[in-house]
Amino acid sequence: MKAAVVAGSRQHRQRQVIGWVLFAVVVALIPFLIADTYSPTIFGNRYTVGLGNLSQAIALMVAILGLNIATGYSGQLSLGHSFFVGSGAYLSAVMVSEFHWSYLSTLGVVVPGLFLFGVIFGLPALRIQGLYLGLLTFAVAAVFPSIIRLENVANRTGGSNGLSIESDLEPPTWAPLDTVTEWLHAIPGVGSRVPDGLTGRQEEAVYKYFLLVIMAMVCFWLVRNILAGRVGRAFVAIRDNPLGAAASGVNLAAYKTLSFGISAAVGGVAGTMLAMHSGFVGPDEFGFSLAILLIVGLIVGGSGTLHGAVVGGLAIQYVPLWSSQTQTLPGTDVALEGPYGAAILGGLLIAITFALPGGAAHGFRRIKSRLMPVAPQPPGR
Amino acid sequence: MVLGALTWVLGVFDISLDKLSNGELWLAQVFRGLSDGATYASVALALVMIYKSTGFINFAQGSLALLGVYLVYVFSVEQGLPVALAVVCAMVASSAVAMFVERVFIRPFPPDHVLPLVIVTLGLLLIIDSAVGIVWGFRTRSLPSMFPSGAPIEWGIAQLTWRTIGNLGTVFAVVGLLYLLLSRTKVGLAFRAVSSNLESARLVGIRVGPTLGFGWALAAAIGTLGGALVVPDLLLEPSIMLRVLIFSLAAAALGGLDSMVGAVIGGLVVGLARNLLVTFLDLSELALATAVAVILVVLLVRPTGLFGSTRVERV
Amino acid sequence: MSAAYLEVAGLKAAYGDIQVLHGIDFSVDEGQIAVILGANGAGKTTTLRALCAMVSTEGSIKLAGEELAGQRTADIVRRGVAHVPQGRGTFPDLSVEENLMTGAFVRTDAKVRADVEQWYETFPVLGERRNQAAGSLSGGEQQMLAIARALMLRPSLLLLDEPSLGLAPMITRSLFEQLTAINAAAGTTMLVVEQNAALALGVADVAYVLEAGEVALSGPADELAADDNVRRAYLGY
Ligand SMILES: Nc1ncnc2c1ncn2[C@@H]1O[C@H](COP(=O)(O)OP(=O)(O)OP(=O)(O)O)[C@@H](O)[C@H]1O
Ligand SMILES: [Mg+2]
Repeated sequence: MKAAVVAGSRQHRQRQVIGWVLFAVVVALIPFLIADTYSPTIFGNRYTVGLGNLSQAIALMVAILGLNIATGYSGQLSLGHSFFVGSGAYLSAVMVSEFHWSYLSTLGVVVPGLFLFGVIFGLPALRIQGLYLGLLTFAVAAVFPSIIRLENVANRTGGSNGLSIESDLEPPTWAPLDTVTEWLHAIPGVGSRVPDGLTGRQEEAVYKYFLLVIMAMVCFWLVRNILAGRVGRAFVAIRDNPLGAAASGVNLAAYKTLSFGISAAVGGVAGTMLAMHSGFVGPDEFGFSLAILLIVGLIVGGSGTLHGAVVGGLAIQYVPLWSSQTQTLPGTDVALEGPYGAAILGGLLIAITFALPGGAAHGFRRIKSRLMPVAPQPPGR
Repeated sequence: MVLGALTWVLGVFDISLDKLSNGELWLAQVFRGLSDGATYASVALALVMIYKSTGFINFAQGSLALLGVYLVYVFSVEQGLPVALAVVCAMVASSAVAMFVERVFIRPFPPDHVLPLVIVTLGLLLIIDSAVGIVWGFRTRSLPSMFPSGAPIEWGIAQLTWRTIGNLGTVFAVVGLLYLLLSRTKVGLAFRAVSSNLESARLVGIRVGPTLGFGWALAAAIGTLGGALVVPDLLLEPSIMLRVLIFSLAAAALGGLDSMVGAVIGGLVVGLARNLLVTFLDLSELALATAVAVILVVLLVRPTGLFGSTRVERV
Repeated sequence: MSAAYLEVAGLKAAYGDIQVLHGIDFSVDEGQIAVILGANGAGKTTTLRALCAMVSTEGSIKLAGEELAGQRTADIVRRGVAHVPQGRGTFPDLSVEENLMTGAFVRTDAKVRADVEQWYETFPVLGERRNQAAGSLSGGEQQMLAIARALMLRPSLLLLDEPSLGLAPMITRSLFEQLTAINAAAGTTMLVVEQNAALALGVADVAYVLEAGEVALSGPADELAADDNVRRAYLGY
């Protein structure tokens, strides 16, 4: 075992900086590497990684991040987060396609609007707790698609047919996408994976990816800062010991509604990101299946951790995708067909609840602390 | 002025006075509401069984019922058994599945930690629903009813059909039998003791695990029966029980989550409310939303429902 | 050495990682009343729970020569071990009568009904309230119900965890009189945890003092009652 580095020491900070730089480089290069639908074949099945899928996973990470605030951090079982995500997606979609706003400017409406919405939603949550809240939010999630299909709003929302958003997200001319591509193409080894010029579609996909990554990073950064402070401590106190929190002067009502407000606002941003990504919103995409999927992502990744949201987003995007692409049982030619993805996610959910209650994030942390131990700062410094 | 306001309200909801004053239409919707309500009541009963004994809501209850209904389909349409017999066979089979599920997925968790258990039932929901999709596909099928078609009593468009009578009769019979089972038999006593105080139930020698397994089996059988009542009105396909689950949750919440009588009355009220609102307010898309509104209002105004007992929630 | 009826050796018990009993030995002869004394948190309740496999344990528990360790609670009850847990332990949603019936859950003989009536005679309050939900009884009435329920098993070993909790002093005294009477009549072996040390030592044959999960003192009840340390710590004179 390596010697532990002391937290906050120069060495530790150096290591953190190196870690972040590596992370940034990977995030920046990945889109070029997988722009032409990277799809490895394993045991006779072709699996797509696909830039589009990755972008969608990023949007889902933000959705889980939002759910994490109400459920993971402040402990209020919300099975209806899809409602906020869907509302955000539809708000953006309608504003972009009907009123010709840009996606980013719709955030100016989505964020405060959904925050307010979350606060209103949080008001009943003051009286309704635990399982009952789960019950209510579950029902609310199931009802979203039928609200979208309502006759009064169907002419705006597109009703059952969904809404194709007419907007072109083209990279600005100054973006050096081609230069980077050529440059990467020249690197031996990796270079062969990179096309030596991007088609228009690929350029758009890469550009969208970067937009989504930046939005996601801003969300994660903001949420991290909120949670690191007073507010975050209050949330955790509400989750772990509501009576104690109230006794020590935490205003339960205010913080509970606040957590729903922030949770919904972040969920709304995730909705905008999903709409941006696919250029289409349909009622059933935001039904209760999404709500459950987000819970799966939360638990599998690790409830109450930020890394968990990242892992969870990747999991709920790729597990169903790859299992639907597994058309023969690996190594054999037994044909598989049907919605295995959901079954596998369900199995994963149960397995994680059973074996790794902290989720994947907890598991990673344990492994990391083995490989690269960090000792807490000694007291008195 | 009052009259003005009234006309305005009617106008907003597109309510025609013709409809409102049509007695036959009222009666027709009442019958239909009772018939639907009976089916919600059965699934709500199943939810209440689990809630009473374990203190959590089994979100996979609808999925177990879904599986049961597909088994009814297999036994009746594919194997050619008479429908009533097929329903009984499916009830037995789905009980067996539920006992297995309880043994493997539920019992390993400490029974007093509710949250992980709720998460596990969500996982079960995903697994069972997709298993049904994998085995039977997404093609819609029609399922015969246990009861003859036709209506013995008719007033114009209002028909009291055999099916309505059968659904109601079945639910009341189930409640009666359940009551006898729980209050007059030893296994019923064990079940209620476990629901009331888990630790003391252990101390008097009740085998808690099998008793809870029995509760799951019973709940699954009742849920399957409920599904077999509801599906003939609709078409059988893998997502059918979700809506039923929502209405049943509303019914159970209205009745008080731990009251069997409450579940039945809740089911009937939700069924009636749904049919009357949909017809007279023209809210066909909002049928589900009415259920949610019921849940919300009940939980806000009277969290213990109409008949529930106050009980400290174990979360 | 003739084997005692209940023979406990090297009993350890833990809640998760927290070790509470660190290997205790004690024994109770058939037909005797034993009392366990000790400060709050000494591990008295845990000892009784360990006998019924309600916590994870190590060590040996022999009842009439048969090993109980490793068996499940339900099977231990079938051996005739009844337990009145600390606090109430009644079934609040069940009626008084149903509570008594659960006490006889593992019995298969035909005298259950008669026993119910007998306990109604012993505790007339219970008879008056037979159809009332147990949760609506007063604390003391519930304590009587819990004891009657345990006796419905016709136990060979009765474990009582602070039976006097919440009872008026008068009632406590008559309860202990009844317990000695039952002990004399049916020969029921009893293991009693009690805070009212004077009363308990008065009726008990042997006594054990637990301190921090270990047996600190043991011996015949009258000897312990005369012990200076015990007097100062538990009898208060
Ligand atoms: N469920 C539990 N989980 C963890 N620790 C426990 C649990 N129950 C008891 N303990 C601990 O075990 C120790 C002994 O508890 P126990 O209940 O046996 O004490 P006791 O002697 O019966 O005390 P009292 O006189 O207060 O009833 C205590 O330190 C207590 O904190
Ligand atoms: Mg104690």
